[in-house]
Amino acid sequence: MTDKESPQVEGTTREPDSLEQHFPGILTPDEREGFDGYLVAPDKLTEFATRLRDEFGYDYLSSVTGVDYLPDEVMEVVYHAYRIEGGPALVFKTQVPRADPVVPSLVGVWPGADFQEREAWDLLGIRFTGHPNLRRILMWEGFEGHPLRKDWHEAYFEEDAKPFANRWPEGDVYRIEDKIPFGKNVQYPSEFTPEGWIPEGDEGLYAGLGQISNDGDGSSLKTDQLVVNLGPQHPSTHGVFRMVVTLDGETVTDLKPVMGYLHRNHEKIGERNTYIMNMPYTDRLDYLSSMSNNFGYALAVEKLMDIQPPERAEYIRVIMAELTRIVSHLWAIGFLLNDLGAFFTPALYAINERELILDVFEAVSGSRMMCNYFRFGGLARDLPPGTLQTIRELIFERLPRRVDELDIYLTENEIVRSRCIGVGVLSPEKAVAFSAAGPVLRASGIPYDVRRAEPYGIYDRFDFEVAVRYGGDVYDRYLVRLQEIRESIRIVQQAVDDIPEGEIQTGKPIFQVRVPAGEAYGRVENPKGELGFYVVSNGKPNPWRYHIRAPSFINLTALAEMCKGHKVADVVAILGSIDIILGEVDR
Amino acid sequence: MISIVSVAEWIIKSLVLITIILGGFAYLTLFERRALARMQARIGPNRAGPAGLLQPVADGIKLMFKEELIPDRADKVLFVLAPIITVVPVLLLLAVIPLGPDIEIFGQQFSLGLASEIDVGVLFILAVASIAVYGIVIAGWSSYSKYSLLGALRASAQMISYELALGLAIIGPILLAGSLSVADIVADQQRLWYVVLQPIGFLIFLIASMAEINRAPFDMSEAEQELTGGYHTEYSGMKFAVFFMAEYGKMIAVSFVAATLFLGGYWGPFVDRIALLGPIYLFAKVVAILFLMIWIRATWPRLRYDRLMAFGWKILLPVGLLNVVITGGLIVVLNL
Repeated sequence: MTDKESPQVEGTTREPDSLEQHFPGILTPDEREGFDGYLVAPDKLTEFATRLRDEFGYDYLSSVTGVDYLPDEVMEVVYHAYRIEGGPALVFKTQVPRADPVVPSLVGVWPGADFQEREAWDLLGIRFTGHPNLRRILMWEGFEGHPLRKDWHEAYFEEDAKPFANRWPEGDVYRIEDKIPFGKNVQYPSEFTPEGWIPEGDEGLYAGLGQISNDGDGSSLKTDQLVVNLGPQHPSTHGVFRMVVTLDGETVTDLKPVMGYLHRNHEKIGERNTYIMNMPYTDRLDYLSSMSNNFGYALAVEKLMDIQPPERAEYIRVIMAELTRIVSHLWAIGFLLNDLGAFFTPALYAINERELILDVFEAVSGSRMMCNYFRFGGLARDLPPGTLQTIRELIFERLPRRVDELDIYLTENEIVRSRCIGVGVLSPEKAVAFSAAGPVLRASGIPYDVRRAEPYGIYDRFDFEVAVRYGGDVYDRYLVRLQEIRESIRIVQQAVDDIPEGEIQTGKPIFQVRVPAGEAYGRVENPKGELGFYVVSNGKPNPWRYHIRAPSFINLTALAEMCKGHKVADVVAILGSIDIILGEVDR
Repeated sequence: MISIVSVAEWIIKSLVLITIILGGFAYLTLFERRALARMQARIGPNRAGPAGLLQPVADGIKLMFKEELIPDRADKVLFVLAPIITVVPVLLLLAVIPLGPDIEIFGQQFSLGLASEIDVGVLFILAVASIAVYGIVIAGWSSYSKYSLLGALRASAQMISYELALGLAIIGPILLAGSLSVADIVADQQRLWYVVLQPIGFLIFLIASMAEINRAPFDMSEAEQELTGGYHTEYSGMKFAVFFMAEYGKMIAVSFVAATLFLGGYWGPFVDRIALLGPIYLFAKVVAILFLMIWIRATWPRLRYDRLMAFGWKILLPVGLLNVVITGGLIVVLNL
């Protein structure tokens, strides 16, 4: 493990000198214990970011988020930028007073910051000057306050952190809902009557759409734009997701995604929870790939705790993460075909195989979807006897054949080709700029895979190709997924052959882990793209900040770009090819 | 002169034809669901009654007792009228299809078919079939919903463009039989089915009729994944059931027409000796065509709307025209 980490350490020690020399006066190293990266003055942020992108090649902005340091009266915005060629992150932060947090927007430098800055505004109240569309994104318009602030209390607020005193250790259980009846827990702003209130969010939304009306000057017909809401109740949005679409005939002239219908403020819940309590919560993000979600969170917290899982656990982790990828991609391919109008047949054939893998998950974790299998420094339990043999049979015999079968039936299908080729094209430059990740990025010709670019776990030991295609359209995204299934099968084949015997947990499994103060960003290549967990600890049993860089959410930034000029039917296919999971988009 | 016997004959025949469509509709839904399920590695509905045979009854009861919702700003008269306009032509279509050769009961000749001898039977089919699109357009317009409107627009454009190809495909059998009467066309196929002489015509007919009745992969106007339900998005309860009935009724009717015009109608071995075999053969042919439609639905993704239009105008129409020219030329040259 040490030789794997050494280039990373080297990278972080080499970079400061050169960077600080290049930005005298702008940059100061973050010297808090456990923290790394740099602090940048807010007024120099845009200049710094532009030069960072242009001169140092940090063209891929992975994550933007805010942290509310209530005791210091400081709001901090944290950026994680990467080079698309690979390598470690450059973390930089900017601090502003909590009372009036104003930060220049970096949408002009990295368009992928768009949704993430809106999210930071929505949940933390950090205003980004120069942002083209700084509206709430996850909460509803008219929501009062910014819920991720540390002094914001939800309805039925009990305490800042779990376990709540009335439940543990004495066990004198009562729930705050019993003490405050419904209705008394809500405080309205003064002069506000809920009955008389008319939501105003949609006017702002519709006003932002491109107008295409033509009054008809005699020579042409008078036309009008048609604004159609695809969703939130719509069969093809894979959940409660809404696209506001302006139509000219059947052609889409503008599109705005609206999300947040499934928002539960996962991050606030996560900050109330203890560290281990969040593990099952991560299952619910991208609920098709709970194992990989566990992986990302475990990595982040392990970085903070500075522990390593034992060998056998590392192998099992890789096996589970790759099986998850197969599951998720099978689902994605099946439902892409469903979105194209193939009445469930490909989807059900794909789900057929998925069920067999879910059997494996059930055997190892006790649950088919909400696995909750990873622990800090290991796993919840070892593989039960016989499971390895089941995996072996699946991965060496059944799945390769079934993937070939899908390939034969779908890849050359005339209708699939005519519906997918050239539809929803995302150029490589745009894909990087919009912080697209996963198959969406790789189908645009960027061979960026976290497993290769910054290997985590033991991925550096396996022989696999990074699937990449160059067309950037729906068809290429489908092909990338198909190829990734094959590569995942290859990885699992190697892992199953090499897996050693031994422990599956470093030290004793502990319920209440001790996490030293500091920050960590753990990222994994999830089936949907790069999933990042940004965790800040202040040494207490609960994370101070628990942020998720959700690939489904950020991939949607490019949706409008991909859809403009295509037909309504294509929008559905394009959305299907991005493969979003609303549990992760809305969190 | 109209005798009591012939009135009774008409009434009985009409009831039989309507029963074929309605009963056929009910069991076609079951057949489709079971067949689709088998093709999709599922089992399908098998709980209601033996082998799920009561499933259509259960579905019917459910739909009848559903609440009927009419959107607030819908045009209520048209909204109610639309499903009726859609379903009535479907019930009429079978009138001109001969179900079997003439049979003799109590010394009297009866033709198995309501009006199969009328001279313009084929034109009747075309005329009646195209009325159904009005129902769909009216449904889309009166619903006051954007999805419905888009679905109705798609439906009208699609039906108009595919009706041309459909008409051209039917010209082949008309030329070969030298008659517009469906009975004549069937009678002429006793030795050789027209599908042998008109393979391209048959193919065009199948494609165009599937577009005409909005079956997958041409189900643009109700494309669930894009327009939620297209023209019937806002319909519920029995009105929705009537649209559903019209759709499946059209499937059956079109299969009857295809079997009659191209697959020899009721002809098969020994029909000339045992007349009652005729309807059985016809039924088998219809089921085969219906199965083909279900099979196609299970396997193919939907075409895109603009591609569908391009396909209709740029490929089907020219090929259909060419087919007519070649057929006509050959008939003249070979003096058939």
